[in-house]
Amino acid sequence: MSGRWHAGEEAVVVGHSGPKIDGMARITGQALFVDDLRLPRMVHAKFLRSPFPHAWIRSIDLSAALALPGVVGSMVGEEIPRKYGAIPVCQDETALAIGKVRYVGEPVVCIAAEDEETALRACRLVRVEYEPLPTILSIDEALDPARPAIHHDSRKPSNVLRRVSQDYGDVEKGFAEADLIVEESYDYPGSTHVPLESHGALAVWEADGRLKLWTSTQNPHYVHRDIARVLGLEAAQVRLIKPAVGAGYGGKCDPFCTELCASYLAKKLGRPVKIILDREEVFYAHRGRHPVRMWLKMGFRNDGSITAIDFKAQADGGAYSSYGVVTSYYLGVFMTLPYRLQNYRFESQRLYTNKPPCGPKRGHGAIQPRFALELHLEKAAQLLKIPADELRLRNIVAPDTETCNGLKVGSVGMEECIRAVVKSSGYAEKKGKLGPGRGIGIAASAYMCGALHPTYQNELFHSGVMIKVDRSGDVCLFSGTADIGQGSIHMLATLCAERLGLRPEQVRVVEGDTSLTPVDLGSYSSRVTFMAGNACVEAADKVRARLFAAAAKKLKVEDAALQAAEGFIFVKSEPTQKISFVDAVWLAEEAGPLVEAGGYTPPKIGNRFRRQSVGPSPAYSFTAQVAEVEVDEETGIIRVERIWVAHDCGRALNRTIVEGQLEGCVYMGVGEALYEEQAYRKGGILRAPSILEYKIPTLHETPEIHSIIVESHEEGGPFGAKEAGEGPQLSTVPAIAAALQDATGIWLRDPPFTPEKILKALERHRAPLS
Amino acid sequence: MLPFPKFDYAAPTTLREAVSLLCTPGARILAGGTDLLPSLKHRLFEPSLLVSIRRLTELREWEMLPDGGLALGAGLTLQQLSGLPALALYPGLQEACRTVATPTLQGTATIGGNILLESRCLYYNQPVGWRDAIGGCLKCDGSVCHVAPKGKGCYAAHSADTVPTLWLLGAQVELVGPLGVRLVPISALYSGDGLRPMLLQPGEILTRLLLPPPGPPTVHRKLRTRAAIDYGLLLVAASRSQSGYRAVVSAVGPAPIEVRGESPEDLAEAAFRAVQPLGTHAPAPTWRKKVLRVEVRRAAESLKEG
Repeated sequence: MSGRWHAGEEAVVVGHSGPKIDGMARITGQALFVDDLRLPRMVHAKFLRSPFPHAWIRSIDLSAALALPGVVGSMVGEEIPRKYGAIPVCQDETALAIGKVRYVGEPVVCIAAEDEETALRACRLVRVEYEPLPTILSIDEALDPARPAIHHDSRKPSNVLRRVSQDYGDVEKGFAEADLIVEESYDYPGSTHVPLESHGALAVWEADGRLKLWTSTQNPHYVHRDIARVLGLEAAQVRLIKPAVGAGYGGKCDPFCTELCASYLAKKLGRPVKIILDREEVFYAHRGRHPVRMWLKMGFRNDGSITAIDFKAQADGGAYSSYGVVTSYYLGVFMTLPYRLQNYRFESQRLYTNKPPCGPKRGHGAIQPRFALELHLEKAAQLLKIPADELRLRNIVAPDTETCNGLKVGSVGMEECIRAVVKSSGYAEKKGKLGPGRGIGIAASAYMCGALHPTYQNELFHSGVMIKVDRSGDVCLFSGTADIGQGSIHMLATLCAERLGLRPEQVRVVEGDTSLTPVDLGSYSSRVTFMAGNACVEAADKVRARLFAAAAKKLKVEDAALQAAEGFIFVKSEPTQKISFVDAVWLAEEAGPLVEAGGYTPPKIGNRFRRQSVGPSPAYSFTAQVAEVEVDEETGIIRVERIWVAHDCGRALNRTIVEGQLEGCVYMGVGEALYEEQAYRKGGILRAPSILEYKIPTLHETPEIHSIIVESHEEGGPFGAKEAGEGPQLSTVPAIAAALQDATGIWLRDPPFTPEKILKALERHRAPLS
Repeated sequence: MLPFPKFDYAAPTTLREAVSLLCTPGARILAGGTDLLPSLKHRLFEPSLLVSIRRLTELREWEMLPDGGLALGAGLTLQQLSGLPALALYPGLQEACRTVATPTLQGTATIGGNILLESRCLYYNQPVGWRDAIGGCLKCDGSVCHVAPKGKGCYAAHSADTVPTLWLLGAQVELVGPLGVRLVPISALYSGDGLRPMLLQPGEILTRLLLPPPGPPTVHRKLRTRAAIDYGLLLVAASRSQSGYRAVVSAVGPAPIEVRGESPEDLAEAAFRAVQPLGTHAPAPTWRKKVLRVEVRRAAESLKEG
């Protein structure tokens, strides 16, 4: 697969900075989101949601609601009995609750009306009789066998969704060889994504008897499959279109009640149905970061080398599984990177509780253990009296190696990342010397570039791209990817333009439409640049080959003598000998329509451990960060002043977008470090489902961010690219925790680091030992 | 997007007409709307009629008074107000205006609206589904105060940023109602009852804010989680005269609380003794109480050099 981009040829478009081709449409309001779409005779639907965390539904009386003028129709859970879910092996959720509710905010009834306000008022007229059940609201309660099973009707009723246990090397021998053993517990809180755009869907049954569904999703393909299955339709009867999407961060990977109920009601009522969640409902849809309780034990030799890691994690998953089975693996699998390790044991459990379901959020399942591991290294560095950056440098895995749990690593830019942030931040000069209330900290991390295995078993390609060029010169690229703001449209246009000698804005991209575009598995696991990018290069190269063949004939040279750039195909050795791109297309069309496709199937990377199907990736990205903080020791208020982040993304296809991703990751990390927590009050009720009370940083709380792109060449990546969308977030929170420790002497192992926690810890720290 | 409940709307052109419309049962005044409109969307109240003051141009006028004080129309936006050259003589008030929400909202929110801001609580200013799940509260659709379940009243917090400073300045408001015009000192405007925090008569409109001539400077401090958007966790205004220090503390109950002291430390201790923050805000009351002492002391200390 390598060498596809003809090493030695200089990239013209790849590697530049500049705005996205779809950026202007987004900032001028031309980009159409689901809520911008309106169809004739369209009605609006709203949900009535459960006020109880766990209860039997005894009866539902819709009469008063249906009598309200303007109400058009309604549906209850029994009308879509089939269960849905992101992962085929554990589908446990229904569009609306059937017989039982399992969290506060679970949808119970859906009502359609001529306008949203009427639908909302009608929902409040529905009378539901509930019979409350004992609730399971914590990890300990979920582990208590005396409590009722939240999924009483599953094959093996239990509040443990999945238990994973893996053991590599000889952990006990590793600890026996250690000069220092560090053991600590950590608690990472749950948090939610807060995408700017809420979830929404618009469904219409067209005259040909088929369903057309627009939805704000990250995963058109998986959602398409599951919606069709649950509604009892052939997938070909459903056309799912992803319009412009206002971010996901993992929160729009699952199928949702919006899509199912809009589709079902549209059929039932014979009218188009739109459902847009309000902000409160987005907090109930959730699928956010799992709260994880962790225990970590590590052995070190005096020289800083790591002899063994023993790790346990328990994840509070909420009422449904979502991607929880996958989460239970991700919690452990990346602990073997980026540091050399021979002996590793981990055990994780993903539990059911009566709360909105957790799922994937940027850095899925890896954020929490990374926090524990990196803060652990800070502690070990202090005990070993080795600088924390040096301790990491001594342990970095070599390129082209295999970890003890079978991850095959290609390029590794870890050392360059650490050295870059240490140098630019002045870490060595500042550590321990910034004076009272000020501190600096470092952390590093590794992440995947696309899951090697799809969520349902198949051997087909993961990404398909089709390119159509015609004599007008118009280049149209079709891809099943889902640009959710991260820039995959621009990535595809860039790669296509590079290979055809055009500018990105000359490439139109049609994407995320299950009828028009070839399958792509979706925007998750940081896979799009790597996988769809490769598919795009393959398709573009096929078009290029046909253009070159036609041009070569005309110019009377060999194909290999040609080059494409700036809208021309020319002879490399004699650039004045050239024909324009449009003329070349005309000539190429003599052989028939100029339509070509490419696909990406991950290489069959064997893994010694058959059980390790979650975690392996064709490549891995690396990040290092340094954070500088200031703490007001009288109030406990902490401010993250500056972050230096260096990320090995392979080749940066567009530097502006990579920098944007680094800044976005740091921003989200600062939110999780200081403010964010999907917290519940008694009764399983969210503490504050609003973005006034769920605090995400404003510009004022966002630190000065110094983004450093470290480029390695990943053999299998498109132009050597890896990923930048998730990995950079992993090391933000532990870097801040280490900086807080440097500033104050306190170790906080349970983010968010609120002023209350900091002040309490400072008071304990200052108290004379008794 | 959250839809509005249905309501009628009127935008009278005379004060007399506005007062008469406001006497309609279920009517509410609409000024900048920055607090009212989200509250409607959250169904905190469902007025039958909104009376907009946007066409009452006299509410956007201001003048210097013969005694050197200022008369400020209640319809001036916080941005207009803080931008008045004369406001430089009232630095605490200028600062307070600039800490409200965000610059965008300061361009819409009015000074009158801020003075009459509805009291706020973690259990009240929430979306409707959430309030249904907790069974409502004393202030809306319920019978229990979740902040003080054994208490007698509603403790929703006075949260108007400009008020502590106006209180220290000795400002007055002019109220026009069906029975005529009256002047009320800011310090006498608040009832201390979270259910009906303002001592207004039915149909009354706040028309003008009257500031006495500039005196000793006041300072304003706002403690909040984020430096924009958020309402205050503590609002502290302080001033200093020959007789000592004064501070007005708010966001700790339905009405601001005034304390006095001889030194910054003394003032902070007086505030610490007089004020008991409650669970009306997300951070723990114990933390807010500790920080209250720090905030009051720092406010007073910043006056030392003046």
